[in-house]
Amino acid sequence: MAEISEKDHPQNSLNSVLEISVPLFSFGGAFIAILFQMQGISIDFHIPALGCVLASCFLAYLAWIRPKKDIVALTTPIYSFIFFTVPVDVSEGILLQILYAVSLTILLIRLKYRFGKPGTAVTLGKELGGTLKIYIDRTRNAFTDINPKTAHSAAVVFVRFAEGNYGEAEQGAKAVLTQEDASDQQNTLMRAMSIIREHAMLLNMSLPRPVTYQTFPKKDLGLLAISPDPAQDADAEFYLSLDNALLILFSAAWNASERDRQHLLACQVFAQKLISSK
Amino acid sequence: MKIGNVEVKVSIVAVAVFVFFTILLLFASMSSPEVRSQLIWLVPGLFMLLVIPIALNYMSRRQYADMEPVYEAEAKTVRIRLINESMVGKPVRVEGIVERVHFQFLNRPQYLVADRSGEISVKMFTSPNEDVKVNDVVEVFGQVIRRYIFTGDPVINCVSIRKIKKT
Repeated sequence: MAEISEKDHPQNSLNSVLEISVPLFSFGGAFIAILFQMQGISIDFHIPALGCVLASCFLAYLAWIRPKKDIVALTTPIYSFIFFTVPVDVSEGILLQILYAVSLTILLIRLKYRFGKPGTAVTLGKELGGTLKIYIDRTRNAFTDINPKTAHSAAVVFVRFAEGNYGEAEQGAKAVLTQEDASDQQNTLMRAMSIIREHAMLLNMSLPRPVTYQTFPKKDLGLLAISPDPAQDADAEFYLSLDNALLILFSAAWNASERDRQHLLACQVFAQKLISSK
Repeated sequence: MKIGNVEVKVSIVAVAVFVFFTILLLFASMSSPEVRSQLIWLVPGLFMLLVIPIALNYMSRRQYADMEPVYEAEAKTVRIRLINESMVGKPVRVEGIVERVHFQFLNRPQYLVADRSGEISVKMFTSPNEDVKVNDVVEVFGQVIRRYIFTGDPVINCVSIRKIKKT
């Protein structure tokens, strides 16, 4: 079955309709009020004003679904409620509606150009996406066979680290390292765990980079999310090892501990941030 | 101005408001005898325009001064890239360079602080101890919060910002 393109996605179509609806409803309400006034028919000001109220709600929704929130657009329904529930004369009301419709349109343009695209399932933390998904898929075979208990521990350590609970992350990593067999100490996941333990301990005590520190050997290069630059300085190498170690834990937990995926999705933004580092 | 151990700073906006209403009152009292008869409460009212911002600044500065040692003891030094939504509520210490400064004139400065790993907004709800400018290398103590309390990207609610190196 052919995949639905991003443009044709039902959610995107709905968003496009809502974007058009903002000026359509707000100016439409004013237009109807003008038409009635020209015909000499007296109608309650609140009826055409409903167009602006609805347009404000659409604009607020469009602001809400974006990962970067625009507080001005979000609060427009409150203003519409204040403006259109107070009694005003019909002619003043029409002028107010037109000005409000212009404001909403300006805010819509501002929202589109300054606050990015609406959130997707990826940005809203409902599914994996981007380079992180590519990395998880690339390393799937290496981690699917690991012990589910170890994979769960990897998820716990990753989440604790993301939360800034470095003491708990260190203890979690230490527990895994002491439980595993000596042969397992040689694998990439255990090396990642060991690197995270070292960093968590240093972060917990707010200590700087030590002179000697753990890194991944060359044989692990295939499983690293970010390849080290041979010309990088010691600081960069030290921190890159941590980023790679955290991403290895994320991949191992994702691929071998399905029950932890919701927790991992909640930390996806952090993992995306790590993988996008240079 | 120093009250006790607390350095109090009045925002330029509060001073401007005070000056504006002082001039207004001067003109009004010169042109209207009715206003002159009300000076007994208008003049203290005018001074309240200065006293209230000074008192509020003093109280917030004192509270921040009390919190500083607590944060210095509890905050973990982190790289900016490690700060994420899951860390909301955590006290942190970051070191970086100030790239932008906003709203300093309101005594509510917002800084954009960057290190080699990334950049983050640092919001302060009172005046800082030091005058921090763009390109200053600073250490920041604060708590991770969301930009709009319940939503938005993580930012630092700054308790203390200090220059650590001359530019």
